[in-house]
Amino acid sequence: MHLAISLNIAAATGETVLDFSRISKFVRQAEAAGVDMIVSSDTADGPSSSPFEATTLLAALATVTDRIGLVASASTLAHQPYNLARRFASLDIISHGRIGWHATMAQDSREAANFSRPEGFSDTDFRRRAEEYIGIVRGLWQGWDADALLFDKTGGRFHDPEKMHLLDHKGEFFSVRGPLNVARSPQDTPVLVLSGLSEPDLDIAARNADVILLESGSAESAKIRFDDLRRRATAAGRDPDAMRVLTNISFAPDDTRAATADRLESQFRTRSCDGFNIQVRCSMLDEFTDLVLPVLRQRGLVREGYRGTTLRSHLGLAGGGDR
Amino acid sequence: MTAQMKLGAFLWATGHHIAAWRHPKAHVTAGVDIDHYVQLARAAEAAKFDMIFCEDAAGLREANIGIASQTSRSIGFEPISLLSALAVQTSRIGLVSTASTSYNEPYGLARTFLSLDHLSSGRAGWNLVTSASPIEAANFGSTGLKPHADRYERAREFAEVVTGLWHGKASGHDGQSFSVRDPLDLPRSPQGAPVMVQAGASDVGRDLAARTADVVFTAAQTFDEAKAFYDDLKGRMAAYGREPDDIKIMPGVSPVVAETEAEARDKHEELQELIPDDVGVALLSSYLSISDLWRYPIDGPLPELPESEGMKSRQALVVEQSRRDGLSIRQLARHFAGARGHWRIVGTAAQVADELQARFEGGAADGFNVMPSYFPGELDAFATLVVPELRRRGLFRKDYEGRTLRDHLGLKRPV
Ligand SMILES: Cc1cc2nc3c(=O)[nH]c(=O)nc-3n(C[C@H](O)[C@H](O)[C@H](O)COP(=O)(O)O)c2cc1C
Repeated sequence: MHLAISLNIAAATGETVLDFSRISKFVRQAEAAGVDMIVSSDTADGPSSSPFEATTLLAALATVTDRIGLVASASTLAHQPYNLARRFASLDIISHGRIGWHATMAQDSREAANFSRPEGFSDTDFRRRAEEYIGIVRGLWQGWDADALLFDKTGGRFHDPEKMHLLDHKGEFFSVRGPLNVARSPQDTPVLVLSGLSEPDLDIAARNADVILLESGSAESAKIRFDDLRRRATAAGRDPDAMRVLTNISFAPDDTRAATADRLESQFRTRSCDGFNIQVRCSMLDEFTDLVLPVLRQRGLVREGYRGTTLRSHLGLAGGGDR
Repeated sequence: MTAQMKLGAFLWATGHHIAAWRHPKAHVTAGVDIDHYVQLARAAEAAKFDMIFCEDAAGLREANIGIASQTSRSIGFEPISLLSALAVQTSRIGLVSTASTSYNEPYGLARTFLSLDHLSSGRAGWNLVTSASPIEAANFGSTGLKPHADRYERAREFAEVVTGLWHGKASGHDGQSFSVRDPLDLPRSPQGAPVMVQAGASDVGRDLAARTADVVFTAAQTFDEAKAFYDDLKGRMAAYGREPDDIKIMPGVSPVVAETEAEARDKHEELQELIPDDVGVALLSSYLSISDLWRYPIDGPLPELPESEGMKSRQALVVEQSRRDGLSIRQLARHFAGARGHWRIVGTAAQVADELQARFEGGAADGFNVMPSYFPGELDAFATLVVPELRRRGLFRKDYEGRTLRDHLGLKRPV
């Protein structure tokens, strides 16, 4: 099974603010445990005492880790698609291919209010806009062929102009010429993680997402949603195995290790997801990595260590770099 | 103690010379190699530079893709992610990134730079630019580059919102271009607020700087140009209730330095020889904001030009120099391609130090943004040859005294 750890750096009232060295210690701990990726949220409900914005935090974390995947949330309301594509492409090069972009399909009214959209968008406009946005970002990420850079000093050819592609997107909400001014990602494109899906978003997710995060529910409903998403992916002409569906699970330390492991095992064995996104307070991470994970490993449910070096390889997804 | 100059290390991929990437000793994969930047940042920090400086453009630098493919400028790191990575790989040096007011929103930009400031424990700065390139504009809509005055009006409102957010202003903003409801959700900056840098030298650009900037980055070739700019900008500050010393003016300088003058000249000539004519002319065209310069005879003079809607200040600089020195298009192209309109000094450490000292003590600069011709060689040459010479003269610090970028620059901490 695939495992993500949701990194909640926003300290609750009364907790001490996390500095960078504490956060990097947690992430290295997750890396030592062989977790596929951490997912850093970017907004807190109510006033946060976290000092960091997610993409800047990820850049810093990339320099103090080697293997673990690093996913940051970034809103389609807060960034222009060209700028977001650039930020994540650059992060992916900094991390040697370990980056993912987490976009939510749910509109955050707080963001709309602070990003000069006081009225926000209607649900359908937000959805159409988000899909157009995602298409632009993915298109920009593919603007440079893998062998476009020549570095030919004597011939005076830095890159091959035939291998650089304009996007020339003209859509309902955006017009973006391209190409990106950041080189191709070491894993072809950063991993696209989608969450916050309501019914009409499911097809968008099934067409585009590398990873889908679903809220936890009953085992039966999880299974139904999982099968449904895979069917939609197939209908869209995609291999359903080119997409990973993770269920959000919140982990509290008073859960006993066997009970947690049993719960994850049964959901996984009934094929209701490809793995889990574990929501755990930073200060309780070791309860999960030291107590629950070894049980899952003993049962042969989680791989030992990392085989490849990119996030796509950890997730078993096709893409550049090693698999 | 005599006053000391401020020094920025302007890092840019393979180097500031347009043909830097072709130099045998240039690190050609710089634009995809984070370790290269970590090494440069540490070298600049070991030399006690005040700050690292990064430029930015949200698009290709050159519209003609054939020309673009002969330069190394079409790909590179996005600077905010780059500096965030460098923040935790350095401990004292300031970290300044350029970002546009035309293609960002103030709430997000304020939050991002404040986060960089926290990651670096108070060493971040924002270089405000309004983005003059139509290539960038085409990545953000179909209506083309907005007129100069509109860009600056947006920039003025943008800067006001950002500083308000950094200073913890609680009430919202509902203006012409932006509306912001909440205060920032991050704690206050370790240095009071990130440092505000500005590059942009037109009349409105200078007014905006006089009102909001802590540091101004400029391009000036001669002492007289630099002095005139310096006096003009400092003269505008009183109207905003500010002291002249509240802004540090740091022109760009691209030194080519070696043990002997002859060696320095050879080194410079070696780089100039690597510039293809079509690349030089294209770059010159972009400074002049015209697209058909290639139609004119390359050994003839510049044609008459309409006034630019893009970089007014840079166009004026090129035209002025062509008249003064009677240069042909080819000569101007080579001249500007080398340092992109910035001041170039070719010589020994003593000669470079003499020139810097003259501008510093002559009241034409508070410091310099050093733009090495190629990396890593020319940054190392400046650090090992020029910096010790400046120190001998008491003109540059031996070690950092403070912790934050405001400390290094001797700027007041905002209340
Ligand atoms: C020395 C200098 C450096 C600049 N660097 C950048 C840059 O890195 N990115 C950018 O988009 N604009 C840059 N600019 C452009 C200006 O910020 C501004 O967008 C444009 O020049 C118009 O301003 P002006 O007419 O007031 O000079 C620079 C301008 C100057 C004078």
